[in-house]
Amino acid sequence: MRPAGRARDIRLAYLLLAPAVLLLLTALAYPVGWEAWTSLTDLSPLKDGSTSFVGLANYRHFLADADFWRAATVTLAYAVVTSAAKLAVGVGLALLLARPFRGRALVFLAVFLPWAYPASVSVIGWYWTLNPPITTAYSVFMGHVKYAVDGALGSGSWAFVSVTLFNIWRGSSFIGVFLLAGINAIPPELFDCAILESKSAWRRFWFVTVPLLKPFLALAVFLSLTTAFADLANVWMLTAGRIVYPVIGTHAYWLAIHAGQFGPASALSLMLAPFLLAILFVVFRMFDPPERKRT
Amino acid sequence: MAQVMMKDLNKKYDEVHAVKDVNLHIRDKEFVVLVGPSGCGKSTTLRMVAGLEEITAGEITIGDRVVNDLPPKDRDIAMVFQNYALYPHMTVYDNMAFGLKMRKFPKPEIAKRVGEAAEILGIQELLKRKPRQLSGGQRQRVAVGRAIVRHPQVFLFDEPLSNLDAKLRVQMRVELKRLHDRLETTAIYVTHDQVEAMTLGDRVVVMKDGWIQQVGEPLELYGKPSNRFVAGFIGSPSMNFVEITVADANGALWADTPGLRVKVPPAIAGRLGAYKGQRVTLGIRPEDLRIAAGSDSADYSFDTVIEVVEPLGSEILLDLKAGPNVIVARVEPTVRAKLHDKMRLTLHQERVHFFDNKTELAI
Repeated sequence: MRPAGRARDIRLAYLLLAPAVLLLLTALAYPVGWEAWTSLTDLSPLKDGSTSFVGLANYRHFLADADFWRAATVTLAYAVVTSAAKLAVGVGLALLLARPFRGRALVFLAVFLPWAYPASVSVIGWYWTLNPPITTAYSVFMGHVKYAVDGALGSGSWAFVSVTLFNIWRGSSFIGVFLLAGINAIPPELFDCAILESKSAWRRFWFVTVPLLKPFLALAVFLSLTTAFADLANVWMLTAGRIVYPVIGTHAYWLAIHAGQFGPASALSLMLAPFLLAILFVVFRMFDPPERKRT
Repeated sequence: MAQVMMKDLNKKYDEVHAVKDVNLHIRDKEFVVLVGPSGCGKSTTLRMVAGLEEITAGEITIGDRVVNDLPPKDRDIAMVFQNYALYPHMTVYDNMAFGLKMRKFPKPEIAKRVGEAAEILGIQELLKRKPRQLSGGQRQRVAVGRAIVRHPQVFLFDEPLSNLDAKLRVQMRVELKRLHDRLETTAIYVTHDQVEAMTLGDRVVVMKDGWIQQVGEPLELYGKPSNRFVAGFIGSPSMNFVEITVADANGALWADTPGLRVKVPPAIAGRLGAYKGQRVTLGIRPEDLRIAAGSDSADYSFDTVIEVVEPLGSEILLDLKAGPNVIVARVEPTVRAKLHDKMRLTLHQERVHFFDNKTELAI
């Protein structure tokens, strides 16, 4: 092609991309940029006078703060534990639902409901499951469980366990349905072919299902980890805003909305970014490995 | 290598009776093709042999073992699927080695067998590639290779050439035939393509609505179809069917309908005697019609008008009208046929078929 024609094509390509780029800039780049800038200041609506640039002071403060490290550890553990559990349960549900059986539609509905309902409704369901509003033998029993767990692991532990279980319950439902879509997208002959070669369901799962599902598994892990890292809604709703166990998400929310410390709160939430980017990188390498050159 | 026996084989899904009382004896080293329109039960039958579908009733024997309750892995069969069923995450080598690996064969043995199969199929250079880097024909070769390495007693082919373009299909057909001559492994091959069935099969099984319609060697099905369905299904373009009345005149039987009146050939007249005065279906293949010459008996000739001319190069197909009846004839490419011209045709009297209108069976 002639250079002039090519230049025109390139201009046209950028022009066609412009609306998408504009949308991304306003919806993503601007807020992130604003947050990054704020994290370097002492911006606060409660403070009189002008906002001053403080450099990396907010970050330094957190790195030296034992509470931050505790919250970071808890957040990391929360993300890893819930993701692993969600994946295990989700894979199980997907495999169960992938084969036809009587009443599959009902089971599918039961699996899908916790996720399909608005979080607030699911939360109340869960809250009443663990903390029944009517006194019965069951509610007494659950009371004992709470005291036993809190007694053994420290106050607030039971609440945190319940948040974790809630996340697993609701998240597995999503991952199960998501992976089911993945399994259904795989041509059935690939499974037929495996059945012809091996009796062991475990070997077939390991050598055929897992590799074929890898893109879906990677995306599921990614979604699960990132939502757990940034989890505010589940924790907040189940514990009614009390900080029973510090995680980064609630911590940042408290700092910003209740304490009005926009600068430190921005820094705190941005400190999650390196973790998330690392996960993103690893997962996308799994999802879409760089192709070797064609021979 | 082994024979395969199907005895009173049935498959029922909730509402659908997919395979009905199939009885079939496939001999050792035989290449048998199951053919029929979609939904005729041919694939289901094959999948029951493989063990991918449960048998509702009946018995399948491979070699001298009843395999009804054997898991697929222990039936000693290998299957080639329509869309190749290659694992996208494995190289060609790993795909071909998959079955042997799952069976825990020692590595050197796997390498030897894969090497041999790759050589037979001419795919040695592709062993390190992933399936997505292969063309359709290459993928199908790999799928066949994966079956070969297992040295099974029976090959099962489920429409293996349907995803290939017409030219490649012909080429692969020849290769499969050559391969069978070389390996002599018993093979059951499912297809909806009657040309594939005729060219590949030692014997062909025509199925419809779950029933076997006829089992026979290709030319037997072509020459002596047992019913109207087989007559119409085998052969391309398909057989012409004209509903006629069996008339008795001048001491002979005549196939009579407006626009067409031909004598019933003496060889068939005896069997058709019982149908005197009744309606039956006359069947004649396009290739068994030719342009009448002066020496041809008027008893077997009739007048037509040309409606459509389809020159195919090696032959010309003519759509003709004999009264209200539409008839296709295949004629030499040198024939100068013009639209709306009149043409007198004569039929090959030894190749006329008659079918009972009610039972559709050949008379």
